[in-house]
Amino acid sequence: MIKKKIAMLGAFAVGKTSLVQQYVHSIFSDKYQTTIGVKIDQKQITVADQDITLMLWDLYGDDDFMKMKPTYLIGASGYILVADGTRSETIEVALQLQEMAAATTNNAPFLLIINKSDLSETWEIAPETILRMQQKGWIVLLTSAKKNLMVEEAFQKLASLMLNPY
Amino acid sequence: MEKETHQNIESIIEAGKMNELRKLLIGLSHEELERLQKLLNDPHEFSNEISSLLPYAIRKMVERGEISVDSLLPFVEESMHKSIQKNPQKLADILFPVMGPAIRKAVSEDLKRMIASINASLESGFSFRSLKWRLQAFTSRRSYAEIVMANSYLYHISNVFLIHKDSGILLHEASAPESKALEADLIASMLTAIRDFVQDSFSNAEKGTLDEIQFGSLKILIEQGPYAVLAVVAEGQPPADYRVTLMETIEAIHFNLGLELEKFDGDTEYFKLADKFLQQCLIKQKKEKKQKAPYQLIFLLLLLIAGVGYFVLINYENKANFKRFITELEATPGYHISSSRMSFNKIYLKGLVDPLAEPVEEIMKRFQKIEPGTLQASFEGYLSTEPEILQRRAGLLLSPPEGVEMKIENNRLIISGTAAADWEQNLELKIAAIAGITGFDISGLNKKITDLQWIIPSIERHRFLFDINVVKLDSLQQIQFDSLVQAAVFLDAYNQLYSRNMAIYVRSYTNRNGNVAANERVATARAEGFITLLENAGVKKALLKSQVLFAEDLRETVSLRTVHFSVFDNKPISR
Ligand SMILES: Nc1nc2c(ncn2[C@@H]2O[C@H](COP(=O)(O)OP(=O)(O)OP(=O)(O)O)[C@@H](O)[C@H]2O)c(=O)[nH]1
Ligand SMILES: [Mg+2]
Repeated sequence: MIKKKIAMLGAFAVGKTSLVQQYVHSIFSDKYQTTIGVKIDQKQITVADQDITLMLWDLYGDDDFMKMKPTYLIGASGYILVADGTRSETIEVALQLQEMAAATTNNAPFLLIINKSDLSETWEIAPETILRMQQKGWIVLLTSAKKNLMVEEAFQKLASLMLNPY
Repeated sequence: MEKETHQNIESIIEAGKMNELRKLLIGLSHEELERLQKLLNDPHEFSNEISSLLPYAIRKMVERGEISVDSLLPFVEESMHKSIQKNPQKLADILFPVMGPAIRKAVSEDLKRMIASINASLESGFSFRSLKWRLQAFTSRRSYAEIVMANSYLYHISNVFLIHKDSGILLHEASAPESKALEADLIASMLTAIRDFVQDSFSNAEKGTLDEIQFGSLKILIEQGPYAVLAVVAEGQPPADYRVTLMETIEAIHFNLGLELEKFDGDTEYFKLADKFLQQCLIKQKKEKKQKAPYQLIFLLLLLIAGVGYFVLINYENKANFKRFITELEATPGYHISSSRMSFNKIYLKGLVDPLAEPVEEIMKRFQKIEPGTLQASFEGYLSTEPEILQRRAGLLLSPPEGVEMKIENNRLIISGTAAADWEQNLELKIAAIAGITGFDISGLNKKITDLQWIIPSIERHRFLFDINVVKLDSLQQIQFDSLVQAAVFLDAYNQLYSRNMAIYVRSYTNRNGNVAANERVATARAEGFITLLENAGVKKALLKSQVLFAEDLRETVSLRTVHFSVFDNKPISR
């Protein structure tokens, strides 16, 4: 049995918890309940005929990245950076968090998720921004936890990256 | 314009200065001044003050591209470290109330679930104790099985988790046969998250590692190794040396699986090999054995004390009873006890007993505590002279009719009352035959006169044999004669009582050999002589008549010199 630790990182209220809940339990709530500390869930998936148990560490979000301690990231085999498509500053936070995460996880595989893709009217992220990050080699996905768009694909993608980093 | 501006600026500066000055002179309080002073002198305080502004300043600098995060990170990390070191409690206070319950919920719900699975096996048994636990479960809202666990075991290790130290991934798990952890993976991660949190909060001390978490009666013991952590779920208080077991276990696992631990990339397959190590951590101690023993001992002791006490009491009671029995026996007429003793509940007696004494068995019946079989008596017979026995003996030998009273006074038999005269016949002789009676007094005894039945025979049975031509009573005949006189007196009394005229023929015998007339004369003289004797003794003359009979006329043979008596009805009394 393969078991992997995955961390969810990102600014507050970007939808980290919503993504995990949608992925693991197929539920979504419009009510915002901020995560304090860490919330852990697990999900069993199959990637390339390999059974994997994902241990999903949904961390609290904070714009003040200085308060973000790396301890929860230790031992993670991969992580997901989450930004909120309706708030461009969350991309900045994601960028900063990535640097810390890369150092702590010894450059573990990761993806950037720009969440809330269902909110097109208030969308703030320009396509160039996404392109710029993709050019750095990042994998960027647009998701909606609310509409369950690209959620499973995102986790599946990370899982395959973790099993096959190259 | 420029000048104006300049003036303006100058005036503003001026005003600022004045303001400052004013503040310095009057606005600034003494405390504020002191605080500033202290701030400048104490670098610690100063850095503290600045640290609250620093994040904002750094953020601005980063935004302006003046510094990069990379260059900042070591400094940030260190300052964070310091800040947490300084007051970790604050962070703990904020986070733990939320994290604690979440973890507690996850763990206890899981335990609840696994405990529920053993409910079935436990619930089949029913006893007073189980009823009590059910009540406990009902009142405390804990599940029945939980209560059973808590009550049955002094301690009980239900689960052992081997956890990868960095990732918190569960490498292997062992659970007690009666329990099944369904969400061990989650628990392992949660425990790691708690540990991370604690380590973040108390990073200053190496001993700040989390090694025990308590939720009510549940306890999680954590033993850290370099690459893996052992966590056990315990109910109750495990023995003190259990820590050593945990340490030895985690050491053994590192020794055997060190490489796999170091290179761990998520594959937990190897760690099945750790199972035998985890199994030895699953220990438990039944409560009953330890707790019941003293109760049983105390109970046994009490039983022993009660037993000994009972024995002593019974023994004492038996002894007292035995003494009373002997005393009673000695006081009973007809018994003479020469030796008595009691051992092992048996009574041994030696002595003499009168055959007329109350049987010893009867006396024993009055002592309920003495079983009939416990007596070993060797008695020899004897004739007692105790008044009660003498009286009993006299009663047996004389069988006095109703109306007769007998009592013993100084070994003399005193008889009083009224009895038929025939009972009185030879009474003196009978009394003389009673052993132990040295004398008697029958003066108080009255004869009952009823009919002739007894009077006639008591007259007619007498025979007196005399020498030729002599009518004289010897001493033996005198007793007979007295008896005859008494019977004659009764006949007279009878005549008077019933107006009858019974009389006595005093018969004398002869034969027709030789001179018949002379013979007859001699015989008549003998009869007449006897009548004279009776008359002299007080018998009325009217009651007596002489009669001579010839032997040849009689069917039976009689001695010629004897005097016989025959009662006959003389004549009716004429009025
Ligand atoms: N419309 C829309 N709303 C979303 C989506 N994802 C999350 N939300 C909402 O965004 C808010 C925050 O979501 P969370 O999942 O709690 O965000 P988080 O990142 O876990 O927040 P912290 O735990 O505070 O860091 C909630 O009100 C969600 O309902 C989405 O895909 N579309
Ligand atoms: Mg959250």
